[in-house]
Amino acid sequence: MQRTTPTSLSGKLVVVHGERRAQRSLQRLLGTTLCPVEVVPDLASATIDSDTIVVIDAAIALTALDACKRSARAWIAVPGEGLHPADPTVVSALLHAGWDHVVAHPMPLLSEELLATAQKLLRRDCFGLDKYMVWGSEVRGFTLEDAVERDAVVSAIASDVTRVGLPDRIGSLVSVIADELLANALYAAPIDDSGVKHRVHDPRDRTRLLNGRDVVTLRWSTDGRYLAIEVRDRWGTIQPAAIETRLAATKTANAEGGMGLPLAYACSNQLVVNLAPGALTEVIALLDIRYKPTELARSASFHAFWGDPP
Amino acid sequence: MSRLQIDVAGNRVTFTGRIDETAQLAPLVGQLPAGAVVLVPEGVTFVNSVGLREWIRFLRALREAGRPVTLERVADVLMTQMNLIGELRGLAITSFFAQYECPTCRNEDQPLVDASLAPVACNECGSPMQLADFPERYLTIFRS
Repeated sequence: MQRTTPTSLSGKLVVVHGERRAQRSLQRLLGTTLCPVEVVPDLASATIDSDTIVVIDAAIALTALDACKRSARAWIAVPGEGLHPADPTVVSALLHAGWDHVVAHPMPLLSEELLATAQKLLRRDCFGLDKYMVWGSEVRGFTLEDAVERDAVVSAIASDVTRVGLPDRIGSLVSVIADELLANALYAAPIDDSGVKHRVHDPRDRTRLLNGRDVVTLRWSTDGRYLAIEVRDRWGTIQPAAIETRLAATKTANAEGGMGLPLAYACSNQLVVNLAPGALTEVIALLDIRYKPTELARSASFHAFWGDPP
Repeated sequence: MSRLQIDVAGNRVTFTGRIDETAQLAPLVGQLPAGAVVLVPEGVTFVNSVGLREWIRFLRALREAGRPVTLERVADVLMTQMNLIGELRGLAITSFFAQYECPTCRNEDQPLVDASLAPVACNECGSPMQLADFPERYLTIFRS
């Protein structure tokens, strides 16, 4: 008998949850990775090393906010079993404390999001919106050759989305998300030789040819479940910790500085930052197009990954 | 994409188009007649973070000049974004457009409503439509 095995995945997963049904659901879900899954009722019972991916009930995480500073491959807070999403104040508290993975949505969305997150971490392969789409989904892309093409790209994607048959509400959200992610890549990402973000105050209606590291791409796709927008720059200068703090503070912002990504986050159901420091930043915003907003979590999920560029 | 068009008629200012980096709102403060101001951003189709900042600075400048400001017929896209900004809480808003959905035929619409967010009749099947989003996306701004 010959046995085929998947790509060798190292590491282990630890589920920290006090409720037995949730433990079973999470164990079965994460067991599909064919990696060892340990289940414990509390953090004190967990054996965690630098290669461990910890999946922890957000309620427990809230009582141990600094846990995410402990050495592990990743700490992922989940709202647990059942139909209740994470409370916005919990999501905000976890982001403020520096959690890189906060899942806001309950089952069944949790399963899709958590499996994609775990697989990206296990395979150490984080880049690309295709990881969130079902096979066969078409991906459309744009490469900006000049900074002033931002408006044209935003118009094009909004038009494409409407042509797919999605409601105006989604088209409106897509326009804001695409515009903010592109502006971030064009103006906040580039640094000069001193590490200064020298494009931040550039007039945004001024022409600027984009060559080499200045090239910015946008791709989008939908599979009838999600609509994903992915924007890449070649700088890799984004700082997830700073973003987490800003996202946590969105509701109290006074709009002076750094509102772009919080606005994109507020318009999304899941915001993903993939980073190869000094080489590549990719931000993916996911909109769930199956459910009404009121059937989803009030806050979006957030994930930050580090990896090698593709 | 249409840039922001601003029409001033007495103390009533109507906004149509995009509020983005091209929107010039600061000079408007000095051009308005004295007294209370009514802003009607009904035709706003797009707001990005730079435009939102410009809009907030405009409102702040009016407030600092002691000008009572009322917003009427606020576009949905502007209403939901203003609700993200704590500084704007307590702003006087008499009506705004909001996302509604018909639970019977799933028709989506943006009727003009007030802070009561009362059900409105579906323009396709006549059933009562319901707010399609969380109330706080529209009502946070009304909290003092």
